[in-house]
Parts: sequence; C-alpha cells; structure tokens
Amino acid sequence: MYRYDEFDHAFVKERVAQFRDQVERRVSGDITEDAFKPLRLMNGLYLQLHAYMLRIAVPYGTMSPVQMRKLAHIARTYDRGYGHFTTRQNIQFNWPKLSDIPDILEELASVEMHAIQTSGNCIRNVTTDQFAGAAADEIADPRPYAEILRQWSSVHPEFSFLPRKFKIAVTGAPHDRAAIQVHDIGLQLVKNEDDEIGFKVYIGGGQGRTPMIAKKVRDFLPEEDLLTYVTAIMRVYNLNGRRDNKYKARIKILVHETGLDELKAQIEAEWQHLKDTDLKLPDADIEAITKYFEKPNLADRAEGWAQLAQWKKADAAFSGWIQQNVGPHQHPDYGTVTISLKPIGGVPGDATDAQMDLIADLAEEFGHHEIRVTHEQNLVFPHVALADLEPLYRVLAANGLATGNAGLVTDIIACPGLDYCALANARSIPVAQEISNRFGDAERQKTIGELKIKISGCINACGHHHVGHIGILGVEKKGTELYQITLGGSADENTSVGQIMGPGFEPEAITDAIEKVIDTYLELRVSDDETFIETYRRLGMKPFKTALYGEKTAA
Amino acid sequence: MSKVLTANKLIDGNSVWLNAQGEWIETIADAFIARHDEAVAALEETGKKAVSDNLVVDVAVIDVKETELGIWPIRLRERIRSHGPSVAYGYEALVQEQTQAA
Amino acid sequence: MSKIWTKTGFQSENEWGFLSEGAEYLSVEDAKGSSDTNLAVRVEPADDVHALSDKLENIALIAVNFSAFADGRAFSHAALLRDRLGFKGEVRAFGQVLLDQVPLMLRCGIDSFEVSDEATIKHLDAGHIPGIEHHYQPSMNEPAKANSYSWRYMANSG
Repeated sequence: MYRYDEFDHAFVKERVAQFRDQVERRVSGDITEDAFKPLRLMNGLYLQLHAYMLRIAVPYGTMSPVQMRKLAHIARTYDRGYGHFTTRQNIQFNWPKLSDIPDILEELASVEMHAIQTSGNCIRNVTTDQFAGAAADEIADPRPYAEILRQWSSVHPEFSFLPRKFKIAVTGAPHDRAAIQVHDIGLQLVKNEDDEIGFKVYIGGGQGRTPMIAKKVRDFLPEEDLLTYVTAIMRVYNLNGRRDNKYKARIKILVHETGLDELKAQIEAEWQHLKDTDLKLPDADIEAITKYFEKPNLADRAEGWAQLAQWKKADAAFSGWIQQNVGPHQHPDYGTVTISLKPIGGVPGDATDAQMDLIADLAEEFGHHEIRVTHEQNLVFPHVALADLEPLYRVLAANGLATGNAGLVTDIIACPGLDYCALANARSIPVAQEISNRFGDAERQKTIGELKIKISGCINACGHHHVGHIGILGVEKKGTELYQITLGGSADENTSVGQIMGPGFEPEAITDAIEKVIDTYLELRVSDDETFIETYRRLGMKPFKTALYGEKTAA
Repeated sequence: MSKVLTANKLIDGNSVWLNAQGEWIETIADAFIARHDEAVAALEETGKKAVSDNLVVDVAVIDVKETELGIWPIRLRERIRSHGPSVAYGYEALVQEQTQAA
Repeated sequence: MSKIWTKTGFQSENEWGFLSEGAEYLSVEDAKGSSDTNLAVRVEPADDVHALSDKLENIALIAVNFSAFADGRAFSHAALLRDRLGFKGEVRAFGQVLLDQVPLMLRCGIDSFEVSDEATIKHLDAGHIPGIEHHYQPSMNEPAKANSYSWRYMANSG
C-alpha cells in the first residue's frame, strides 16, 4: 500500500498545526461558529446530537494493521471504546471533544492518517473496490489512481469551497463494486485496442433528495490526462454549479439543467487549455505510485484446496461463511475474506477497540498486513491463503466477527440515523437491528439469497436507500417516525434507482412489511437461483404492491 | 406551553440545558422551564448571548411536557438528545448481541 | 473599518477606494464597452472573466467578489485571470475576506485584499497567515517545483 514520503509527512503535520490554530482561534472567539463550521467540516469534524463526531479518512478504504491499532487506541483514549465504519470507507467516532481533536489528528499523522476532506463542500475521500489488487476480474488496480487523486485534491486552493460536496469513485473491474454511477465523478479503468490503460468517465451521479445515475462523458480518457480532465470538470462545476439552493447544488443538477452535451462541450473546451499543462501525468510518476501497490509476495499454498474441502464438510457454519464471505482471488490458492460487521441484531458497521486490535493482529498473521474497509460497512482481508481460512475463522468466530452474511438480507447498510445524527428525521439502527433479528436464521438467509437492504434516516441518503434492492427511508410525519420502502435499486454496473412502493410504515410495522415483500419474492421467483433484484426486474412493482397494500391500491 | 433552552457546549460538544441559575448543565431534569412568552424571550436572549460569548453552539428553545417523571421533550429528536442513543453501543451492544445469540 | 492588505503588509495608499464603503468600480459589462485606460473592474460571482480578455491592457485592478466566504467562484475567477488570460495587474479580493481563506486566495493569484473582519486584520497585522507550505497542485503565485511528483510544489517564501 501507499507509504508517506517526507513531503506527505510534512504536509500532514502542517495541516494538523493549521487546524490546532483554527481551534484555538475558535475558542478565543476570533472565528465565529458560522465561519468555523466549513473549516472544521473540511477536517471531518461535525457537531451531532450528543457531541462532536470525527470522521477519519481511510483513503480508498485501505489500511495497515498499525493504522487499525491507532484507531483502536483513539476509540479507547478519546472516545467511548468503539468506532463506526462508514459507506465512504471511512471510520467515525461519535464522542470526541473539540479540545482533543488536534491531539487526535497528531496521533493519526504519526501513522500516516488524517481527517482531511472527509466532509465539507470539497473533494471527498476517493473510494474504490474493496477487493482492488486482489479481485480475479480486475483489469487494473484502481488504487494508484485513487492515490494520485487523493494527493491532488488535498487542500486544493481553487476547489475547497465548491457549491456542494464532491465524490469521486474509481473501479478497476467490469463488475462494479464501487458504485461509480452514483458518484459525482465515476471512473472505470478500461484498456483500448492498443492495450493502453485509460478511463471511462461518468459524471453527475448521486443520491440524496434527487437521485440520479451518472452520464458517460468519455469512453476512453488516457491515464496521463486524469488530473487535467478532472480539473476541467471541477472548474466548470465550481463556476456554474448552483449556489442558490443546497438541494440543487450537486453536479448532477448542473448536468440535468445544462444538458449533457452542452456541459460536455464546456468541459472539453476547458480541458483543451489544461491538457498540456503541468498536471499532465508523466509515465514515471504513475509508475512510481503504482509500485507502492504491488501485490504482496504470495507463496503457493496448494495444500489449502484439500484442507478447505475437508473443513467445509466437517462444519456447516464454517462452510456457510466460506460461501458468503470468501471470494475469488487472482492467485488460485488465495481468497478475499469479508469480515462482517453486521452481527445478527448488531449495529451495522460498529467495532469495539478490542475488535479493532484483534483484526490488526489477524491481518498480520493471516492477511499480509492489509485491511480494507468496504462501502457496505464491512472489513476485508484481501489476501488470505485458503489454507489459513479455518484458523482465521476460529478466532473471528470466538469474537463475534464471523457472521457469514456478506451480501445477504442481514448485511444491511444503515446510516447512524436519529440516534446520533443532527440531520436525521428518523432512526435507522433499530430498524436494521429488528430486520436482522427477524431474518437472523442462517438457513432462512441462505434460502433468500443475495439481497441488499439499505436504510437512511433522512433524505440525504447516507444509507444509500435509493440503490438498495430494498431501500428504507425514514421520515418524520406529525412528530413520529415513518418508513418508506423502495424496491429495485442497485449500485453495480446495472445501476438503478429504487421506486417508492406506497405509503410509509410505522416503526412497529416496518419489519412485517419487509417480511411480506421478501415472502412475496420467494413465492414468485422462478427458481432458487433467481435473486430478488432479478425477480423484481422481471415482474416490476405490482405483485409486491398488491401483497403489501392489497389489490385496490396496486391497480 | 412549556419550553427549555438547549445547546451544545463549544469546547466538548456535549448537549446541555440551561438551569434556573443560568448555568449550562448536562441533564435536562433540572432545566429551567419557561411557561409564558416573556420567559421564552428571556431564554432566547440568554441563548444568543451564550453563543456570542462562545460558550455554546446550535442553541434552540424546545417544546417540553411536564410530567410526573420530569421534563419530557415533545420531539423524538430532543428525547434522544437528552436521554442518549435509543440503542446500545460499544461494549454494551456486544453484550446484547451475545445474549441474543445464546 | 476596511483596510487593504498585501504580502508586504497593510497599505496606507488605496487609489481605488473601498468597495465595502461604496467605491464604484466598473462592472464587467461596462469595462467591455469602455475605451479608457487605468480601469478598476469588479467581478461578481456569476460573471465570466473571459469577457475581459481583450481589455486587460486597459485594466489596472480587478476586484473579485467573495460575496459569501463559502462562495468559491472567485477562486476560479482569479485562477483564470492569471493562468488563462495572463492578467498581470492587481487582483483584489473583497467581500467576506477571512483569515483562513487568505492562503488559498494567494495561491489562486489574488495579491491584494480588502479586509474588514477585525480578527482577520489583527492576525494579518501580526504576520500570522495560516497556510501550508507543501502543495499537491500548481498555484498561480509561482510556487517552486518540489523535488518529487509532477503535481507537487513548495510555497514560494518570497
């Protein structure tokens, strides 16, 4: 993975000192709260219901054991012994004090981490495929490009006060695990006929109040043009994005209102001036960054095949875990392992300091010192020998970390909701917990198969409900919580936005409603292999609506 | 109509409520209750001053009910602010999961 | 009360007057139609600075408006004036000019500042400019190439 050089160390150190000074001036009254707010947000610091919340960047979700231990230390020392992994592959702490933040940032800097641009109207943490560099279907590793973008976007003088937040995602595989089509810029690595690497470029995707699927603006952008082209997009957006209404300020609205062709022409015109400037990437620089991401030296471990078959036969729970949580690796003797942070009835994405320490130890012992955070709020060891799966599983299971539910109905994404968030209208976590408990039985989950439930506690859609196969949106109506269900969303290479089913459900009724939707699917599917989303796409909303609201409403 | 004044402390972010002595306290139970317009106006003034003195942020006058069990905020949001998350977290959550699994 | 600050400190001379105190500069539209020289022009957030491209010889000062400190369009205006149009005269920030934005403004090619926020004036007067020396992008105020990747620079201390 990427390691800081002297330049990066010096930069982060200066950034910490800068924020320490800003905090001092805030406390002394030299900065008003209005002026301080964007400054603290640009360093990941929110004020939530109960306390401040600090969101720490995990660039493109990649972390070392040393960094994970530091997060555990921060949870223990400055917070309440746990942290929450987020849909932007970051981690957030829910209870830090403003006066401690500069010290926390200094601790982070000592392990090459920071909280830069994890919030605010600036370019956010660049995200990617959690299996980058390991997945069997990958064309090229997206991480070097994500790292170049991370560096280039850090404290950008021109793009720190954009109309609204700006999210970039990169994927290196045709099967999109980075949800690039719901990002402001989505980049898909492709090769042209001369076998050169470049990007398919999408702009204008996003969720929130007005969900939109990104539009393609380039079929092939050569890799050397990455920064010049992104700069052109940013400049056109900074100058022309709407600033009169925060709900219309994302680039998706600019695309929509300007028209794709016109906006594309503006971007291309701006790019003509930029393409041969200093931002054009030299091959040597791309190579130098790429070198950091060389695969670890993975020795052949062919003995794992036979062992694995034996272990699976002997232990059904282990076998279920392998089936759901272990994926194919570029090396046939290895697999990618998803460590579920979705225990049945648990809080999605939360981990205690002891669990973080344990995961760090296990990554050293079995995982070639690499940990990933997924946008689905789980953790991943990208390189584990098949021969090590059983011992790894034993330790995980003993610590509540071996739930074999990756991609299943209980692998729920949920935002913090009204239990923590100052913007929320309804709670998300209790809904996730109740659904998880209802469907917690391993056999039942397996029968249902792949099903992504995503829950947001307000229209800002941090829980990605628009792209859940089943999405749940919490709203406040007459002082009480109400939950709307959407069906048919998806965030992969066939991205779609879910459709609202009908009137919402009260907290007591939402789990029953979800169960009815799922039971309807089980009745209607043509075979055990037809997934929920496939059945929905075949039949549409009507049969589900009839099941839930009766014949009359559905007609 | 009963109202109390709430905010978050600048220095640590903790939720606080104003008591009758004009102090910012970390439990709603002893908050000063304004029951008529003049008292509400006074709360609003106090809030403004505390913001400009850089003691608190996100100040708000909120509706409450006076019950036998004490002050009960009308909005769920404010009940969660005053009583903490409605779900167990951290180690407490772990214990809960393990009990349920058992 | 407003003051004009540049990298050499607060300026006692202010030929053009303070925009915040009612000084009248030409609008972009008026500047386009003017044949006078030694002009002072004000650029509003929604303006297109390209409209000034064939008048730059006649313009001494272009003031870019940070009508709200969170409205970042003037950063791009300044960058375009310097980089694209090659404007060599004075580019001044006015509106909500706050201390923590000053380093970014300098990097976008702004070289004078109409400041009225008291705390900002106090810190600038004390020589306290809270910037970062290590840059991951080019800037308009001629930073030095870092001995590193092509996109890295060091602030020019001059």
